[in-house]
Amino acid sequence: MGMTMAMEPSWLYYLFAVLMLCVAGYSSVLLAMAGLSRRPAGWDVELSHLVMGVAMAGMFVAGWSFGPSAMWEAFFGALLIWFVVQCGRSLLAYGAHLPHTAVHALMSLAMLLMYWFPMGASQGSMSMSMSSSAAGPRVDPGLALVIAFLLFVSAVFTLASNRKGGSVYGTHLAVVAAGGPMTTQVGDTADVSGEVGLAGTTSAAGGLEGFVSRPSLLDGAHVVMCVAMGFMLILML
Amino acid sequence: MAVTDAVLDAQGTTEPRVDAAALHTQRPKDLQRSFQLWLAVVWLLDAVLQIQPFMFTPGKNGFSGMIGGTASGNPGWIADMITWNASIVNHHPVLTNTLFAGIQFVIGFGIIWRRTCKAALGLSIAWAIAVWWFGEGLGGIFSGAATPFGGGPGGVLFYAVLAVVLWPREGPDTPFVAARALGARAARVVWVVVWAVLAVLYLVGSGRSPQALQSVVTSTEGGEPGWLVHLDRYSASLLGHDGTELAIVLAALCCVAAISVYLPAAYTQVVIVLVVVAFSLIWVAVQNVGGILASGATDPNSAPLVVLLVLVYWPLSDRRRAALPRGRSGTFALSCAEANSTGGVDLGTRSIATREV
Repeated sequence: MGMTMAMEPSWLYYLFAVLMLCVAGYSSVLLAMAGLSRRPAGWDVELSHLVMGVAMAGMFVAGWSFGPSAMWEAFFGALLIWFVVQCGRSLLAYGAHLPHTAVHALMSLAMLLMYWFPMGASQGSMSMSMSSSAAGPRVDPGLALVIAFLLFVSAVFTLASNRKGGSVYGTHLAVVAAGGPMTTQVGDTADVSGEVGLAGTTSAAGGLEGFVSRPSLLDGAHVVMCVAMGFMLILML
Repeated sequence: MAVTDAVLDAQGTTEPRVDAAALHTQRPKDLQRSFQLWLAVVWLLDAVLQIQPFMFTPGKNGFSGMIGGTASGNPGWIADMITWNASIVNHHPVLTNTLFAGIQFVIGFGIIWRRTCKAALGLSIAWAIAVWWFGEGLGGIFSGAATPFGGGPGGVLFYAVLAVVLWPREGPDTPFVAARALGARAARVVWVVVWAVLAVLYLVGSGRSPQALQSVVTSTEGGEPGWLVHLDRYSASLLGHDGTELAIVLAALCCVAAISVYLPAAYTQVVIVLVVVAFSLIWVAVQNVGGILASGATDPNSAPLVVLLVLVYWPLSDRRRAALPRGRSGTFALSCAEANSTGGVDLGTRSIATREV
């Protein structure tokens, strides 16, 4: 980067930052809905998207960042541990497969790397507008590229998947009724691995709740997050 | 009531746990679709690489400088067009680069949706040819620098070839996935042409010089991470003065690869494995992961695409052939129809649900 940063398109970073805040806002709505209806399915993914969205908005636009790095690192460290544990539980419960929480663990790891190897220092948080690869130790570019690539893979295969909503609720979707997205004929269910619980968020889906919890929106938020995070990792190369 | 094992398991109403592997092996995957999606992943990576900061920068250190650099060594009329293109990019870096990145995002996301897949693949062919001409200087063919060591005849051409061999079409994936789009005979012709071109390019121009490998490696070394620089130096010291011999060996491998598609499946598979190994090594130790790790690339170079291409020609077993009698529509569409007829269940768990309920 260095001197060439003068021509960096700040509008691009603002665009990504706004998208991140949109994802964070959307996730907060889903979290609130889950809390009000006491149906916590997918709360961990929504919480991670909320925190990641806010944190990444602050990375793209320096003025929008807040809080010390240690706080964010603690968040993402806890999320990483949580999702790794969920992966383990899912593997134990369902045998060999790729749990959907794996990608969320990967995203948490990516966030940690971004804080451990900031491109620039700005009051304890990263700032694209002040980025400078010479400011400190760099994350290994190979690792960053591999993670970015995996995130792109997740984005593409999430969009292409027949199991809509799988990015949040996993591939073991409980039931998808023919009549509408993610409605269910089963009562509240709580999967032992925390992967299903689909019914909990979508039964009797309709009106605003039905719109907000549309599988395409859930997957869309995940895809936007994956692309933005991949972009950030590419910038770290 | 339509339920799955997962739900039943959670409710304690069924004994067996969900076998995740079984969920995914009940119906064979649509391999052509899978390959299309991997191609979409590469396009998405390219699009994101295109919005790196330096791409928006005018001058020699920017994207326009990268394009202009490919003009040297080409015939005048080709060089003029490249220079003209570089000039436009130089004067309007933000506009042009945003357009270029946008096109690649459109291609990547367009391939993902079945409805737009053909249009996206068609656009990718046109875009690849345009980039090959105006952005890559025809891959250095006319300047004698199109050695496949360095990505010749231009990584972007492989996007076009992949778009052709992965063109959506109903039908069986036999005897390999590429045959579904073109028919086995035409697909084999494409394969032979690709490998013949690569074999020739290994032996002509600068590619066959003793220092060819070393010069390619050293030209891409700047800015790379330490481990890759060490790997470069190792490969350069190992084969740095044997570029001619290595070029001949790889040209021979290309010739073997060219005819392998007419051999029994077992031989073809061996050759494909060899090609995958060879091009993976070239990608890392010679092409330096396309220069991506040095933040100076717009694509991962040719090797990953060659690997993807050869996998599209992987001979399918008789068992799989029997399992895929109807192509795409024989798997996905059938599942949809049956799901609808049974009141709607999750497609991925259809067979288990009907078994349990």
